[in-house]
Amino acid sequence: MGPPGLPPGSAGIGLRAPHYAEILERRPALGFLEVHSENFFCAGGAPLDWLERFRAAYALSLHGVGMSLGSADPLDERHLASLESLVRRFEPALVSEHLCWSSFAGRHANDLLPLPYTEEALDHVVGRIEQVQERLARRILVENVSSYVQFAHSTIPEWEFVAEAARRSGCGLLLDVNNVWVNSVNHGFDAHRYIGAIDPGMVGEIHLAGFERAGELLIDTHGARVSADVWALYGAALARFGPRPTLVEWDTDIPALGVLLDEVRMARSHLAPVVPASAQLA
Amino acid sequence: MTSLARAQEEFLERILDARGTAPSQGIEVYRRNVRASLGGALAAAYPVVRRLVGHAFFDEAAIRYTCSNPSRSADLHDYGGSFGAFLEAYEPARKLAYLPDVARLEWACHESHHAAGAPAFDLAALRRIGVGELGEVRFRLSPATRLTRSSHPIAAIWEANQPPRDGTPARLEGPDHVVVRREKLVVRVERVDAAEWTLLAGFAAGASLDAASAALAPGDAQRVLAASLARFVRDGVVCGFAMPAADA
Repeated sequence: MGPPGLPPGSAGIGLRAPHYAEILERRPALGFLEVHSENFFCAGGAPLDWLERFRAAYALSLHGVGMSLGSADPLDERHLASLESLVRRFEPALVSEHLCWSSFAGRHANDLLPLPYTEEALDHVVGRIEQVQERLARRILVENVSSYVQFAHSTIPEWEFVAEAARRSGCGLLLDVNNVWVNSVNHGFDAHRYIGAIDPGMVGEIHLAGFERAGELLIDTHGARVSADVWALYGAALARFGPRPTLVEWDTDIPALGVLLDEVRMARSHLAPVVPASAQLA
Repeated sequence: MTSLARAQEEFLERILDARGTAPSQGIEVYRRNVRASLGGALAAAYPVVRRLVGHAFFDEAAIRYTCSNPSRSADLHDYGGSFGAFLEAYEPARKLAYLPDVARLEWACHESHHAAGAPAFDLAALRRIGVGELGEVRFRLSPATRLTRSSHPIAAIWEANQPPRDGTPARLEGPDHVVVRREKLVVRVERVDAAEWTLLAGFAAGASLDAASAALAPGDAQRVLAASLARFVRDGVVCGFAMPAADA
C-alpha cells in the first residue's frame, strides 16, 4: 500500500520553525524531515509554501499529533479530510499517528493521553486505525506514547497492547525508544522486555528524544539531548530489528540546528554497523 | 456509555481542571502540558498583546482564558479566537482600553496568515461588463483579507510593536479603520479611511457596488470609486467579482 518508505539507514530530524531558513540555506545531508501534520492543515499561506520547498529538497514524514485515534468520540471527519489532502499533495514517505487519545466529547487536551490497556480499548483503536488506513489508502505507523499515570483497570501490559494493535490492524509501529525508557522508569517495567515483545517486521521508524527528571517521574519534554540509557536501548532495538529510519525530535527550548545534527551523527554511528552498505543514504 | 468513554471523561475532567491541587504528580504533568499547549498557542497568535502587558501578566490572563475556553480543535492554530472578547471583560486589563481591539487585529492577522491564496483579479472579465451593469457587480474580498476597526489607534500600536520597533506608536489617537491583507505570503496591516472601509465592509457583506457605495457620503463615494477601488484590486484586497444570477 502506498509509496515506498525510506531506506532503513535514514536518519532525520523533526522540522521546527526556528530552523526553517537555515535548513534551506545549508541543505544538511538528512535522510528525511518530519513535520507535525496539523501545522499544515491551513488553507494556504506561508506554512504550505515552506513545506513545498522542504519537500522539493528532502523526503518527508507526516507525523500527526491530533487524530485522537483512541478517543471514544467518532473520528473527526474534518481532521481526516485535512490529512488526506495533505498526504495527496505532498506524497510523504511515511505517515504516522499516536496510539493514544486527546479529546473527548469535542473537548481537546491537545496532548497525547494514555489509553487504558484493555481488550475494549484495543478493539476500539484497531478499528480506528483501519478506518484511517482505508481513508488514506495506505499503511500508517502508530507511535507508542510516554505516560505519567496508568489506569488501574488496565489488564494488558503496554508492550502487548502496542504489538497487538499493529498485528490486528496491519499498521506499522513508530517505536519511540525514549518513550519506552521513560515509561519503564515511570511505571517500573523492563524496557528490554518491551523491545523484545515487538516483532521486527512491524517497526517502520524509530524516534529518539530527550527527557527531563521531575521528582519521581521522567518527563518526555523533547527538551534535552538523548540520554545515555536511551542510546543503549536504541542500540539494543537496532540489534533486534535491524536498521530503521530514525528521527531525532526536539520541541522545547529548541537549540541551534548544529545540536540536532550532532544527535543525527550519533544515531548514524549506531545505524552504520547494522546497515548493509548498499542501503546507506545520507 | 462504554467504560472507555467513562475513563476518558473522568481523565479529561481531571486534567482540564487547572485550579486546586492535582490528585497526583502524574495528573499535574498533564495539567502543565495542557496549559503549555494552549498558552503557547495564545502567545504565538498574540505577540503584540503579550509585549504590551508583559509576559507574567499575559501568562496569568492566558490561564484564566484557557480555564473558561476549552480547545475544540486538534489544530492549535484554531485556538484563541475569542481572546479579544475575553480581554474586554478581564478586570486587570480594564485600564488598557485599546487592548481588546489590538487582540482582535492580531487574530485577523493570524487568520490572514493561514488563509487560502487567491487567483489574480480577472480585469479583462471586468472590462467586459457593460457600464449600465457595473452597479450590479459584487466584488469579492480575498480569503486572506480581514477588516477591523477601533476608536483606538490600533494600527499604530500594532506597527510600533513589530520587532525591532521600540513600542512607541506614531499616533496616539484613533479611530483606526484597518485592512489586513496578504501580499504574496506576507501579512500587511494598513489603515484606510472610514469611507474606504465602509465600502469594503459592504463587499464583505455581499452588497453590490451600487448598494455598497450608497452607504457613503456622495463626495466620498466619487473619490473612493475613482481611486481606492483600483488600489484594492491592485493590492489583492479584492480578488474577484460576481454578477447576480439572471432572473429565470
